[in-house]
Amino acid sequence: MSLLEIKNLTVEYVLRKSVVHAVNNISLNVDAGKTLGLVGETGAGKTTTALSIMGLLPHPPAKVQSGEILFEGQDLLKMKEHDLENIRGNKISMIFQDPMTALNPVLTVGEQIAETFHLHGNYSRAEAEKESLKMLEMVGIRPERSTEYPHQFSGGMKQRVVIAMALACKPQLLIADEPTTALDVTIQAQVLELMNDLKVTFNTAMLLITHDLGIVAETCDDVAIIYAGQLVEYGSIEQIFDNPLHPYTIGLFGSIPSLDEDVERLKPIPGLMPDPANLPVGCKFCTRCSRAVKQCEEAEPEYLEVEPGHFVRCNRIGGTDNG
Amino acid sequence: MGEILRVEKLSKFFDTPSGSLHAVENVSFSIEQGKTLGVVGESGCGKSTLGRTVLKLIEPTGGKIFFQGKDITNISKKENRALRKDMQIIFQDPFSSLNPRLNVADLIADPLKTFKEHNKKEIEEIVFEMMDLVGLSRRYAYSYPHELDGGRRQRIGIARALALDPKFIVCDEPVSSLDVSIQAQILNLLQDLQEQKRLTYIFVTHDLSVVKHISDDILVMYVGAMVEKCPSKELFAHPLHPYTKGLLSAIPIPNIHHEKVKVKLQGELSSPIEPPDECRFVKRCPYATDICRCKMPDYEEVLPNHFVSCHNCKNINNL
Ligand SMILES: Nc1ncnc2c1ncn2[C@@H]1O[C@H](COP(=O)(O)OP(=O)(O)OP(=O)(O)O)[C@@H](O)[C@H]1O
Ligand SMILES: Nc1ncnc2c1ncn2[C@@H]1O[C@H](COP(=O)(O)OP(=O)(O)OP(=O)(O)O)[C@@H](O)[C@H]1O
Ligand code: SF4
Ligand SMILES: [Mg+2]
Ligand SMILES: [Mg+2]
Repeated sequence: MSLLEIKNLTVEYVLRKSVVHAVNNISLNVDAGKTLGLVGETGAGKTTTALSIMGLLPHPPAKVQSGEILFEGQDLLKMKEHDLENIRGNKISMIFQDPMTALNPVLTVGEQIAETFHLHGNYSRAEAEKESLKMLEMVGIRPERSTEYPHQFSGGMKQRVVIAMALACKPQLLIADEPTTALDVTIQAQVLELMNDLKVTFNTAMLLITHDLGIVAETCDDVAIIYAGQLVEYGSIEQIFDNPLHPYTIGLFGSIPSLDEDVERLKPIPGLMPDPANLPVGCKFCTRCSRAVKQCEEAEPEYLEVEPGHFVRCNRIGGTDNG
Repeated sequence: MGEILRVEKLSKFFDTPSGSLHAVENVSFSIEQGKTLGVVGESGCGKSTLGRTVLKLIEPTGGKIFFQGKDITNISKKENRALRKDMQIIFQDPFSSLNPRLNVADLIADPLKTFKEHNKKEIEEIVFEMMDLVGLSRRYAYSYPHELDGGRRQRIGIARALALDPKFIVCDEPVSSLDVSIQAQILNLLQDLQEQKRLTYIFVTHDLSVVKHISDDILVMYVGAMVEKCPSKELFAHPLHPYTKGLLSAIPIPNIHHEKVKVKLQGELSSPIEPPDECRFVKRCPYATDICRCKMPDYEEVLPNHFVSCHNCKNINNL
C-alpha cells in the first residue's frame, strides 16, 4: 500500500452558467520516501488535485463527484473536518502556489513560523522561537528580518517563509505547489536540498507540482503528466524522460528554451488548452495535436500500460505527424 | 537605433524598523530602442524595485533616469502620469495584480479610461484589438480574472500594458508562473510585438534559459547591487563574477543523464539593511579575500562591453 493513493478522482466546479471539469478520473500513488512530479499546463487541474487531498477545495463551487483519496489507507474524503484538521499540518502539509494565502498579514514572519513549531512540533514558545530563526536561516533569510511583516518581503522571500512553515512540522506527506517558481536557482537549489533532506531523514513522501522539467529531472522518482484534468502519461522518471510517448509530453520537452543552442523562435505546442467547461468528446489534446486523426476526435483514447508502470493515453503512440 | 533609456547610479532605499534597506544601490545602464535588457538575480535582490523605480512608480532615493533623452527623475505628478502612456509594466503576479471586481474588458480598458482620450466605442474597439493581439479569445471579455487560468490571466496583464501603445515595458517575471508551452507562446508573442512596434523591454526573471533566449544584454544583481553586465551570449560563455558562475551552474537541466559539477553557494545572504562597506557577495564567495571585507568593489569594464564588480575578477579569471 502506498502512503497516498488517489483513486478515480473527479472534481468539478459547478458555476452558475457552466460546469468546469477540472479533474477527471485521476489515479495516482505516492510512496513514503518518494517524490512524484505532477506536470501540466496552467488550468490542467494540478492545484485542484492538491486541494482535494488537503480537503481545502472551496465549496461551493467545487464538488468532488467521485473517487477516493486514501492516506495510510483511510479515505480523506470521508473524514470529519476535525480529524482532517489534525492530519493537515501534522502529517500532511502543503506549500501553496500563492504564498499570501498561507501568510497572515498581521503577524511577523518569525511569529508565524514559531506558531507552526509550537502547534505541531510540541515546542515551548521560547524553543519554537529559536527554531523559527534557524529555519529562516535554512531557507536563506537573515534571522534579524524575522520581526518584519509579510508585505515587507519580496515575492520569493515570502515563498521561502511559507516553505519554512511547511517544513517545520516535518510532515509525512508534503504537497508542494510550484514551491520554487519565485526563487533564483541558487536558493532553489538550497530549498530542493532541504526538501530532499526531509525525504531522506524522515522518509517524507512528496507531491511536487511544477512546470520546470529541470527540477523534475533532478528531484522526482515518478512523473505524472496531466492535461485538461486527465492523466495523459504516467511513469518513472526514466520512462518519461528517455521515452516520452504522449504528443503533449513530447511537445513540452520541445518548448523549453535550450541553454546550449540559440534559436530565433521557440516551438510551443500551438493553441491553448480547451475550455474545461466545454471539453472535446474525443482525445482532449486532439485540438492541438500534430498527430491527430479522425478517430482522435471521435472517441476518447484508452489509458494503456505500454510497459510495466508506464501509462499513456493516446491513439497514435509512436505515430508520425500528419501533414 | 538610439538609446531610449539611461539610468545613472540609481538607488532606492526603504525605511524599515531596523534601518535603511538598500533595495537598489548605484545601478547604471542604458538600453537602445528595440532591445531587451534581462535582469536576473536572487529573489529579494531588488529586481522589481529596480523596474518600478525606473518607471517612476516609486520615487528613487538617488541617481538619475533619462527617458528618450529627457531627465525624468524629478518631473511633476502630471508629467509622471503622462509618462504612463510610454512606459508600462507587466506585473510579476497575475494572481494579485488584477482587480478581482473588474471583468477582462474593463481591466484592459482601465488604463485607457484614465487618459480620457477615447470615447466608449473606441475603447471597446481597442480592447478587442488587444485581446486579439495577445491571443485571448473575445468570448472571455466578460469573464473575471479568478475564472481564468494563469496563462490567460497573464495575457490580460500584457493586453493592459499594451493598450496605451507604450514604447517601453518592464516585464516583471511575466512567464514565471506559466508552464513551458504557454511560456514559449508568451515569449514568442513578446518578441513579435517587439519587432512590430519596436518595443524596448526590461525583462526580469530568474529563469536563466528564458533570459538567455530573450535578452540582448543581461544585468545580474545581488542584494541590491549590480555584479555583472554584458551581452547575453557573452554572459553564458564567459561568466566572470563568482555569483554568476554559481548561478549558471545551479540551473536544473531537463535531462536525467546530465552529470554536472555544481558550484554550490553556501553561506548566508548579506543583509540589505544598512549594509557595511564590503562586497555584498562576500559571505558566500569562495574567492573572498581581505579587501572584499572592507570595501565594496567598483563596477568596471573588465573586457570590452563586459562589466563586473569584483575585486578579484582578474585573478579568478586569469585576465
Ligand atoms: N474557484 C474556482 N471556480 C471556478 N473555476 C475554477 C476555480 N478554481 C479553479 N477553477 C478552474 O479549474 C481548472 C483547473 O484549475 P487548477 O487551478 O486546478 O489548475 P492548475 O493546473 O493548478 O493551473 P496553474 O498551473 O495555472 O496553477 C481551471 O480551468 C480553472 O479555471
Ligand atoms: N515597500 C517596501 N518596504 C520595505 N522593503 C521593501 C519594500 N519593497 C521591497 N522591499 C525590500 O526590498 C528588497 C528588494 O525587493 P524586490 O521586490 O525588488 O526584490 P526582487 O528582486 O523583485 O525579488 P523577487 O525575485 O522575489 O520578486 C527586499 O529586501 C524587499 O524586502
Ligand atoms: S569581490 Fe571578493 S567576495 Fe566579492 S565576488 Fe569578488 S572575490 Fe568574491
Ligand atoms: Mg495551480
Ligand atoms: Mg520581484
